[in-house]
Amino acid sequence: MSESGPSSHSHLAPGTPLCAGCGGLQALQQLYRVLGDKTVVVNAAGCMTLLSIYPFTPFAGSWLYTAMACAAAGAQGVRDALDIQLAKGRISSAEDLATVVLTGDGSAYGMGLSATSAALDRGLDFLYLCYDNEGYGNTGHQYSSATPRAAHTATSRVSGYAGSKKDLFAIWAAHRPSYVATAIAAEPQDLARKVKKAAALRGPRLLLVLAPCPTGWGFDPALTVKVGQLAVETGIWPLKEYVDGRAVHTKIPRQRTPLAEYLRLQGRFAHLFSPQPDEQRLAELQQAVEDYWQQVTE
Amino acid sequence: MTRILLTGNAAAAWGARLAAVDYVPAFPITPQTEIIETLAEWIDGGVLDSRLVTLESEHSMLTAAGAAAVTGVRVFSATSSQGLLYGMEMLYNLAGWRAPLVLVNVSRGLSAPITLEPDHNDVLAARDSGFLQLHCATCQEVLDNVLLAYRLAEDARVRLPVLVNLDGFYLSFTREPVAIPEPAAVADFLPPFSDCGLHFRGGQPSSQAVAVLGGGLYSYFRYQVHLAAEQAAAVYAEVAADFERRFGRSYPAVEAYRCKDAELVLVMIGSFATKAKAAIDGLCAAGQRVGLVRPRLLRPFPAAELRRLLGHRKGVAVIDQNLSPGRGGILHTELTAALYGLPQGGPLLVSFVGGLGGRDIAEEEFVQMVEVLRQAVQEGIAPPPRLLFTEEELQQVRRLQDIAHGRSEGKGEGEETS
Amino acid sequence: MYRIRLHGRGGQGIKTASRILGTALFRSGFEVQDAPRYGAERRGAPIFAYVRADDKVICERGLIHQPNLVVVADETLFDLPAANVLEGLDGRAVLLINSERSAQDWCRQLQLPGQVTVLDGAAVVREAGRVPAGALCVGAAARLLGVVSRRALLQAVAEELAGHDAAAIQTSQQAVSQAYELFAGEAGLVQRLQSGAKKSVTTPPKWVELDCEALPRAAPTITMAATSALVKTGLWRTRRPRIDRALCSRCGLCRTLCPEGGIDLDGEGYPVIDYRYCKGCLLCAAQCPRRAIAVADERTVSPPQPKEGEP
Ligand SMILES: Cc1ncc(C[n+]2csc(CCOP(=O)(O)OP(=O)(O)O)c2C)c(N)n1
Ligand code: SF4
Ligand code: SF4
Ligand code: SF4
Ligand SMILES: [Mg+2]
Repeated sequence: MSESGPSSHSHLAPGTPLCAGCGGLQALQQLYRVLGDKTVVVNAAGCMTLLSIYPFTPFAGSWLYTAMACAAAGAQGVRDALDIQLAKGRISSAEDLATVVLTGDGSAYGMGLSATSAALDRGLDFLYLCYDNEGYGNTGHQYSSATPRAAHTATSRVSGYAGSKKDLFAIWAAHRPSYVATAIAAEPQDLARKVKKAAALRGPRLLLVLAPCPTGWGFDPALTVKVGQLAVETGIWPLKEYVDGRAVHTKIPRQRTPLAEYLRLQGRFAHLFSPQPDEQRLAELQQAVEDYWQQVTE
Repeated sequence: MTRILLTGNAAAAWGARLAAVDYVPAFPITPQTEIIETLAEWIDGGVLDSRLVTLESEHSMLTAAGAAAVTGVRVFSATSSQGLLYGMEMLYNLAGWRAPLVLVNVSRGLSAPITLEPDHNDVLAARDSGFLQLHCATCQEVLDNVLLAYRLAEDARVRLPVLVNLDGFYLSFTREPVAIPEPAAVADFLPPFSDCGLHFRGGQPSSQAVAVLGGGLYSYFRYQVHLAAEQAAAVYAEVAADFERRFGRSYPAVEAYRCKDAELVLVMIGSFATKAKAAIDGLCAAGQRVGLVRPRLLRPFPAAELRRLLGHRKGVAVIDQNLSPGRGGILHTELTAALYGLPQGGPLLVSFVGGLGGRDIAEEEFVQMVEVLRQAVQEGIAPPPRLLFTEEELQQVRRLQDIAHGRSEGKGEGEETS
Repeated sequence: MYRIRLHGRGGQGIKTASRILGTALFRSGFEVQDAPRYGAERRGAPIFAYVRADDKVICERGLIHQPNLVVVADETLFDLPAANVLEGLDGRAVLLINSERSAQDWCRQLQLPGQVTVLDGAAVVREAGRVPAGALCVGAAARLLGVVSRRALLQAVAEELAGHDAAAIQTSQQAVSQAYELFAGEAGLVQRLQSGAKKSVTTPPKWVELDCEALPRAAPTITMAATSALVKTGLWRTRRPRIDRALCSRCGLCRTLCPEGGIDLDGEGYPVIDYRYCKGCLLCAAQCPRRAIAVADERTVSPPQPKEGEP
């Protein structure tokens, strides 16, 4: 290549077609700096699939696109094949790679959950990165089982999503894996600490990263970090980790910002504020946050 | 070389063992399960230096299989019926990845209604995926085909996944004498796995199975799969010749049985072809000129060979153990296309559909099919496709329907409960 | 037949614009075909849509290679060869550009055989309120065709924006109608071509015999690292962040937060934005604790953007 761009090889190269201000890409940038190119990133269908569009790839290491349901199974095949070759002396340990799964929430919470659960059962040595943009982003942001209550999506246009966001952290933790953490790119130190910790462990590990999505959530891309910070400050996105059989909050927002400040910034919640504020639903949503933290601090 | 009694499933497992496969992603399904159980036992017992992992579905199983193959190891897997269809999305993917693995399918009819016994709708559903297909008629062929399949799949001129098909029950659970080749001879025949530059290694960037935009690029890669599949025909001939030289068993892409001066020919794939042979032996003994043509290689489709073997016959009966509802037999369609437009006009083709869900095809039915074919040739008109089903079978269905719904004769529906 | 191509960027309402125009033409009695064309790119990336209209059933499909009207909602697209904005423009075609610069200016710069006309969308927006560039352009385009009444156009706006609140629809209608008025003098400028008037003699395609090729080239695999750096996503940018070194404390936060990995540190530890890749999301400017990152309109900064596109 005549020019290699500004990145050294342990960075994700620029030039990808993801939206300006993408909170998922922002997280992946930070993560890849720690993980580096000694990785195989095994991907399921979603926005991030577009990272590698022939002949362009931002990766200096390896990448394998599988399908929507089965990235964790792909990781199993890659991990096993590397282990077999190491055991049979066909490759050196310098040629080994860490196995990383990269999927959106639609895959992680839904279609790919069965394959993931099974990989956890088998104790697969892999790191699962889920960028959670709370919907099927790549197909135009329909609701997924990670969509928060009341959010407008392309399939909940009238009164917002009627379900509630599924607790993937708890589902993973119930499998007793090596590590589970929630994170967000708007809190880079917390994220960096968690990814370093995860990278140093073996066995199944999950980094569940909330990924503010200007396109799907309806906010100006300049606000990606602001929205992310508010997700933490309002307490709707708790930062926590599960390690050694215990879940610990890594940041407890004691003086929580009212949830409405987070919701107000996003087009997907605009119907809660106009033409008149929907006080009742806003109160319900706020209450759900209160209930969560009540149970944490008790 | 020892000759022992083996089921088709055990023969498949022996094929994998002799090929010294590195990796076996698995998922149970009748009538295939015995294959992976056998391999698991060998691996646990240290007889086979391989790793077996049970995934949670065939979709995942195939994903892991393909991922391992493009990471750089020799992979074997097996499935059947619903499992093959559950993994269908990945069949196309694995061909597109150019993952050179071998997948054994033990044919079984597709749900609904769910059943255990065989027909070929499952494997034919995978027809257009880019997997090459080898079809077996005996347990010996199962073992040998697995070895041939690896040579074919891993050949740099091909580099595509290969599906080896055997019929449930009629082969999977049926023991026959099988000659087991010497491991050293197999090792000579089948060189160690080579990855053709597709692998994952630290220090070597590799993005595989990358998305494309635009029909031109997409067409190029799919055309490459097609061209490789077509090229596989010549490679197959080479590999089969080498196999014959080393092991003495001959496996042409299309088997021709008593065809030398046959006027009428039956065409079938799979294990029922041997039943056809038995019937043909009887007919030939009675002075008829009847033969059998059996494609072993179905993808790539041996069209030229079929034209050569069938083009000059008077009549051909295609016996399909599959059904494309609203169209009929799938092989009949394919064969019609292959024989269309021959300068001499080609043979008269008659279509029969039978053997669905393990339904037997009796000797008298073979005889009758030949008779129908003979008459059609005489009259110069092909009769409409015949669905094999007897009066006795219908009566049996009626009896069961009466149990399921109450007796139907002479009663209005509303009166039945009184 | 009318063959109209609309170019813009993700987020400028190009798809909606093509639908408004399609519906307006349909309401005016035409047979119509309208469609957006999506790529993998997201907000900010170049996209286009097209509309065909004729008085009989339309058999053509897909991309328009010989347009009689090309609408460019975002003038920065001219710097992006991959956007292919000027494809097929011949002497009879009209080019409508959303720009504050004059038509003469553009004629001089682009050196085109056909006619160029300009809509000052920014001025319309200042008066009528914030409306996506695509919709504005459609107001002008409808008038350039000369066969769409204001009534049909405004009805089409209401139909296509159904689901938005009433105020937004009204603002859009006002702005679209204003753009429509501005082009009263050029009504009917776009020539309608006979549907059969396309070339009837075609040059035969140069089909090749494809060979079965060796791996890894024959597989959808990339064996080079980081090739995406060849894609200059800086061309998506409409606004530009600029770091004021005098204010910067070298905290490095902007570098950490940039989703593109487009900020590096220089020898002294100051962040440097790589404008070849910066998509202009401006979150760095929003987050800089020292407010050391200012925002400028891309068109007003000099030197102009690099004239490189995707290879
Ligand atoms: C089996 C299957 N069904 C549907 C799709 C279409 N599809 C592609 S991406 C996607 C959404 C994935 O959502 P998520 O995992 O949240 O990722 P995001 O798009 O939000 O990045 C869907 C439904 C598919 N690729 N495969
Ligand atoms: S839709 Fe959302 S998640 Fe997907 S690329 Fe755009 S900003 Fe990122
Ligand atoms: S965030 Fe602001 S102060 Fe910090 S390095 Fe960037 S420009 Fe300088
Ligand atoms: S505006 Fe700032 S954060 Fe956004 S891409 Fe450009 S340099 Fe990066
Ligand atoms: Mg998502």
